[in-house]
Amino acid sequence: MANKKSSTPILKIKNVDIVFGRGRKEFKAVSDASFDIYKGETVSLVGESGSGKTTIGRAVVRINPVRKGYITFDNRLINGKIPEEEKGQFIKALEEELEIASSMPDGGAKVAEIKAAINTVKTGKITFKQSRDIVRKIQMIFQDPAASLNERATIEYIISEGLNNFHLYKDEKDRIAKIEKIITDVGLLPEHLTRYPHEFSGGQRQRVGLARSIVMEPEFIVADEPISALDVSIRAQVLNLLKKFQSERGLTYLFIAHDLSIVRFISDRIVVIHHGKIVEIAETEELFEHPLHPYTKSLMSAIPIPDPILEKNKELFVYEPDKCHDYSVHKPSLVDIGNGHFVYGNEEEIANYKKIRG
Amino acid sequence: MAEAIVKQAFDLEKVSSQSENDLFYFVESDSVSSEKITALRYSYWKSVFRIFFKKKINWFLLGLFAFILLMSIFFPLIFPYDEMENVINTDSYFLSPAVAMSKYGVSLKWLLGTGPVGNSIFYGVWASAATSIALSFVCATINMALGIVIGAVWGYNKTLDSILNVVYNIIADVPYILIVSVMVYIIGSGFFPFVIALTITGWLGIAYFFRTQVLIIRDREYNLASRCLGTPILTVVKHNILPFLTSVIMTILATELPGYISYEVFLSYIGIGLSAETPSLGQMIERAQTGFISYPWAFWAPVTVASAITVILYVLGQNLADASDPRTHM
Repeated sequence: MANKKSSTPILKIKNVDIVFGRGRKEFKAVSDASFDIYKGETVSLVGESGSGKTTIGRAVVRINPVRKGYITFDNRLINGKIPEEEKGQFIKALEEELEIASSMPDGGAKVAEIKAAINTVKTGKITFKQSRDIVRKIQMIFQDPAASLNERATIEYIISEGLNNFHLYKDEKDRIAKIEKIITDVGLLPEHLTRYPHEFSGGQRQRVGLARSIVMEPEFIVADEPISALDVSIRAQVLNLLKKFQSERGLTYLFIAHDLSIVRFISDRIVVIHHGKIVEIAETEELFEHPLHPYTKSLMSAIPIPDPILEKNKELFVYEPDKCHDYSVHKPSLVDIGNGHFVYGNEEEIANYKKIRG
Repeated sequence: MAEAIVKQAFDLEKVSSQSENDLFYFVESDSVSSEKITALRYSYWKSVFRIFFKKKINWFLLGLFAFILLMSIFFPLIFPYDEMENVINTDSYFLSPAVAMSKYGVSLKWLLGTGPVGNSIFYGVWASAATSIALSFVCATINMALGIVIGAVWGYNKTLDSILNVVYNIIADVPYILIVSVMVYIIGSGFFPFVIALTITGWLGIAYFFRTQVLIIRDREYNLASRCLGTPILTVVKHNILPFLTSVIMTILATELPGYISYEVFLSYIGIGLSAETPSLGQMIERAQTGFISYPWAFWAPVTVASAITVILYVLGQNLADASDPRTHM
């Protein structure tokens, strides 16, 4: 899907720190995370349990506040604060948009929206109206399909919840038509609308979860391990649906997963995260062909091989940060080594990585 | 039996003679039929009442309660009651049913004898039961409504949480009986002043209980999902929180309803309950307590009715709470 990619990022995560608790109980879940997501692509966030994947995903849907750094969506600030030195550049970009909008005959609403966005960049405060706009544009799919559906509500209520909140329909007839369309799109039947979530299988429930996000017509979806809780035979069904909606509606995904074989199937680019730090970013095939960071190598070596003899004799690469790196003198950072490939390391390591790749 | 076995053996013979192509064939895969749900449609409230009415005891208790309710509403209407009608006849005080009937003639009125001012116990009990039932339903409705609504918002709103916690800690430390008695002294002791006295702080404990319940289910993932869909808090409370609390609400109601009858009886018994002109079970008990061995009819009649109402309400409430728990619907 690389050909669909536009040059400006739709979602920008810059120097983000996410911290839980205060004072002595403080815990830094994510430190200094930066990456961009372009329109129409799927970016996967991989890493082990507790590495901060979900935390970043939830910061994008603004459940987790950002302590340092900022997240922007479509050039609008959605979480955190933009530092003084970068404000000018954001305001400039927005003013260009404003000029285009004000030259249009019926751009009144858009002009007001951009003016509010400029104000948000200046003050760091997100208004209620902007907040609702972000909620509609960025949706989330949850990991556990059983826990993420309200057990005491019918499927009809669950799917139309977002529609009701934003009144995204003309009349009652239109609402029913929209719900029936989306439920058949995800492969369920309109007669399921009066049923309750506990009557469905895991795969069906996850498709209900998918339907309630898609029906809002979002631009961006955070898929937080959407298939981890599913049976292997059902996974492909949900993944294919995700791909189908992406090609039909030009959606952008942030896909959070720990299963690399699935990640390879679905994503355009991969972000590897370890203990709250991003260690490697590259396009999918680039990363699978040339894993550079030792943690990425260890992840690759952990992929099971469907051959008992090969699997038994496989040598596992164990990542031990203390032995692999010596960061006592030169401090590491995320560096572009060409081919859109970013690796976390100090000067010496980066030189080495460039040699291997080059 | 033997015939069936023989028939099966015969069929097998026939089967083995057929070729593989006749025995097996490819079925078309049908994605629509695999999505169909064959289970019967589930309706929450239908299931609740199905479970509730399956128990025979509930029919019996409902019947008994209906009888008490009808008697307490219609008996005083049909036979207007004036407890002071015999007050000038001192020889009419505390008469046993037998003596009263021989004195005044056989009548329903003297079925339970007379009380301390020559009043009819039988008439008095029904007039008083009406007061008690009305009081408990009015107080329970007000306190539960306030408690649930405020408790739900309390559990959801962090700033309100810190304020209400302080309020709760201060008021909960003052004994409830003390607050009620002070209120009765301040605003008088009629029916509605008594309702105000019982409800002015009565909702606080219920609200605190519901706040805790809301805290338990507030951060479940489906509530997070509602937040991602931009659902306003009140809708979340109505659709995501309260439906999960139906059985808890029923349980609380089962203890609250009889609780107010007990309060009324107790407070009237210690002399700070309802005013003298409002007929009440507590007052009847209080006035007959001095002679509960020598005039048992005057004491035990109101005690029995009060206990019957509380026990019936409690058991019915508990059974409804059980039935409203969806885990019992299987």
